[in-house]
Amino acid sequence: MKNIKLKINNKTRELAVRDSELLIEMLRDRLGLLGTKYSCLEGDCGVCTVLLDGKNVLSCLILAADADGHEVTTIEGIAQKGVLHPLQESFVKNGAIQCGFCTPGMILAAKALLDKDPSPTDGEIASGLDGNLCRCTGYIKIIDAVRQASQRLKDGK
Amino acid sequence: MENRTTSPVGKSVPRVDARKKATGEAVYAFDLNMPGMLVGKMLRSPHPHAKILSIDTSKAQNLEGVAAVITAEDTFKIKFGSNEFFFPNTVDQMALESEKVRYIGDEIAAVAAVDEETAQKALSLISVKYEVLPAVFDAVSAMKPGAPQIHNAMNNIGVMMPVQFGDADKALKASDYIREDVFVLQSAAHCALESHVSLGRYEVSGGRVTLWTSTQAPFKVREALAKVLKMAETDIRVVKLDVGGGFGGKLEMFPMDFAACLLSKKSGGLPVKIYCTRHEEFSFTRRKHPMIYKLKSGVKRDGTLMAITGEVIADGGAYCSYGPTVIAAAIMRIFMVYKITNIRIMGFRVYTNNPICGAIRGFGGVQSGFAFESHMDMLARGIGMDPVEFRLKNATDPDMTTINKLILSSNGLKDCIKKAAEASGWKNKYAKAKDGSKNTVKGIGMAVAADVMGSKMYKAHESAGSIIKVEEDGSVYLFTGAADTGQGSDTAMAQIAAQELGIAYERVRVKAADTEITPFDTGSFASRVTFISGNATKNAAADAKRQILEVVACELKLEKDELDIRDEQVVKKQDGSVIISFDRAIQLCYSFNYGHLIIGRGSYNPKTTPIDFRTGEGNVSGSYGFEAQVAEVEVNKKTGQVKVLKMYDVHDIGYPINPASVHGQIEGSIIMGIGYTLYEDLKFSEGRVVNPSFSKYRIPRATDTIPIESIFIETNDPQGPFGAKGMGEASLLPTAAAIANAVYDAIGVQIKDLPITPQKVLKALKEKEAV
Repeated sequence: MKNIKLKINNKTRELAVRDSELLIEMLRDRLGLLGTKYSCLEGDCGVCTVLLDGKNVLSCLILAADADGHEVTTIEGIAQKGVLHPLQESFVKNGAIQCGFCTPGMILAAKALLDKDPSPTDGEIASGLDGNLCRCTGYIKIIDAVRQASQRLKDGK
Repeated sequence: MENRTTSPVGKSVPRVDARKKATGEAVYAFDLNMPGMLVGKMLRSPHPHAKILSIDTSKAQNLEGVAAVITAEDTFKIKFGSNEFFFPNTVDQMALESEKVRYIGDEIAAVAAVDEETAQKALSLISVKYEVLPAVFDAVSAMKPGAPQIHNAMNNIGVMMPVQFGDADKALKASDYIREDVFVLQSAAHCALESHVSLGRYEVSGGRVTLWTSTQAPFKVREALAKVLKMAETDIRVVKLDVGGGFGGKLEMFPMDFAACLLSKKSGGLPVKIYCTRHEEFSFTRRKHPMIYKLKSGVKRDGTLMAITGEVIADGGAYCSYGPTVIAAAIMRIFMVYKITNIRIMGFRVYTNNPICGAIRGFGGVQSGFAFESHMDMLARGIGMDPVEFRLKNATDPDMTTINKLILSSNGLKDCIKKAAEASGWKNKYAKAKDGSKNTVKGIGMAVAADVMGSKMYKAHESAGSIIKVEEDGSVYLFTGAADTGQGSDTAMAQIAAQELGIAYERVRVKAADTEITPFDTGSFASRVTFISGNATKNAAADAKRQILEVVACELKLEKDELDIRDEQVVKKQDGSVIISFDRAIQLCYSFNYGHLIIGRGSYNPKTTPIDFRTGEGNVSGSYGFEAQVAEVEVNKKTGQVKVLKMYDVHDIGYPINPASVHGQIEGSIIMGIGYTLYEDLKFSEGRVVNPSFSKYRIPRATDTIPIESIFIETNDPQGPFGAKGMGEASLLPTAAAIANAVYDAIGVQIKDLPITPQKVLKALKEKEAV
């Protein structure tokens, strides 16, 4: 076991984690943050994407202990006081959500992209989401949603 | 109420479940945790074909932390199948096998333990002795005399299905141009991002079972579970939560569903959760039938399609699953598309020792779409006719009855073809001379398709029901058996209910797909939900509305038949003049004098006739949908790489309940179709899947997406709710052929063997040069 201290969704947490415990296990099993979806556990599908110090990472490939001292953001952490993040709002409005299983990871990957580059081209959006699989939408409405959210964020609305 | 959307049908309202999915609050089966919950795991056969000599579970039973171990000895050894009603001979699988295993992955035993590690260890402590039997891994070999016998079926043919009408031989003789082609199609995986999860809990006091499972068809799961558990269906509750995609892969009861329930019973009622890893998902659930189509058809010089003959052989794997339906779709869809009167096709579904094939978006329609639509294009070219003209000449018409008695009432196929040609600029692009000096060449290709939109294939009835409760505050609860797995049926049902009731969409809350609470619904498959469940919901809403209007009419001394509810107001039908608000009308219903609880009910049974599976005759569906697709491709002659540049999809959807959802289904289908056409290929070696992960089995990624122009043809189906038909599967059916035909237009070679890999393109180009 190892004692770690980290910030999760803006709250400081101190936890004792197993040496082999994955970040996804810690988030889901200890903290009940079930929006981080559980699927391939091989780093292939992207549904367990979270932000580690603002960068999108796969929580199935990271040990919880390695998040010690860092800042983790999950899908539960991006809406502010009940108001959806512009990316969430845009996914809802653009029909970018079908089964929804890829959605949390997709939105976080998109957030990491827009935080780094507020005006991506469609090609850059697609590249930024390339590690996040979606079997339902064909990605078209997802790319639309990210493009519109980027516009909204730039307009400061 | 903020954001009121009245008259929501035809509007792209946000989905009812979109916000909870965007915030991570949606609950999928794996997210459900219960006190005392155990981890279940399945023991599977390592052999493709073997006799089970003995199973010893004693060591596993005694391992600390193990709550239960089950084998076939704990079961009633009852077989189950998915097509039992029409095809009792295809009921061939046991929840746990005890005598023989027929593929690598066949379930033999299951364990429940306190944690994953203990469950895994318990599996390794179960000792199974096998006598390995010779195995067979392809359909053609399996049909040969002397091939290993997998079930009792003669020549391992599990399903044999003909279609036969007219005199095909005579019509071939009368043809001016005849061609024979062989098409080969590979297996593929569904790849829903949520894999199968079963959470079973046995209630010791009542002797009842609840199963939370990721399914497209809770009532079908309940039916099969009841059979193998020897329980009353009503003693089993199957609950669907949010489901992370299905695509036909979650349409059946799986042994893990059964095991979760029985393990819970054996564990004294502790809940048991079984999770399918991605490797198991690829290897041991269901997959697409690989097929071989041998077609021989003839046409007149003027383009009249004279005769189609042929044979379809499908590798079905170890058990039948939805085999009969898949074969029916593989050989019978042609009647919806072309006016053909002389036809003879035999369909064979053959047992092999490969993993089980089943339903996957389109059943056998994707295979059929590729084979027939490539073949038709080649027939057209053979007589020097533009494939668009050829299709227009032979396409089915509205209000026609086909030779096999399909009643195609609304039918926009010809409009789809015309519009697709127009939108894509077909005339200026098709069969144009190519610049031979360039490595990359562009091409354009078309394919068409049709699909059932409300069929009956599984039970004596396939009615769906809905219940609507209008609460005292004017909110509406809609109870529907329809299973939303991401396609958006909850939203469509809410829109239909609100539209019929004349109220805002935002008032409706959907409670769906819980066998104990919601009315019956066969499930989400075969593009049936919008049409069948949608009609049931519309009927329930109409019933609720009638009750409200009766109260208003009584109170205000008006004739109820003169009243309607529109845009949240009770109005006079004739001139639309407002009488009272909807809220006021509800207050009246719940007032001292009336005390009328508004509970509407509705069901719907599509008007069909049973298919005669000896000929293929019968009006299988209440409605039919049609479409035309055009692909524009670029082929690199040096590398063999095919790039799809743009797709056009023109779709007769009747009327779009939610246009954004409909476009979303079309876009998702086409991108899935491009994956299947160009690279998706579930590969096997001696019955073992060799690429069971997303790193080895490539599916389309965000960077693979392309522009899609999606256009609706509104034919307003007379039977459809607000004119709507289904459309979940149809857009996948023509994609492969449209691309293959475009590749031909680019480089003059027809690839008849999917996927269209660079190697196949280069080989075909080389062969063409050699001629």
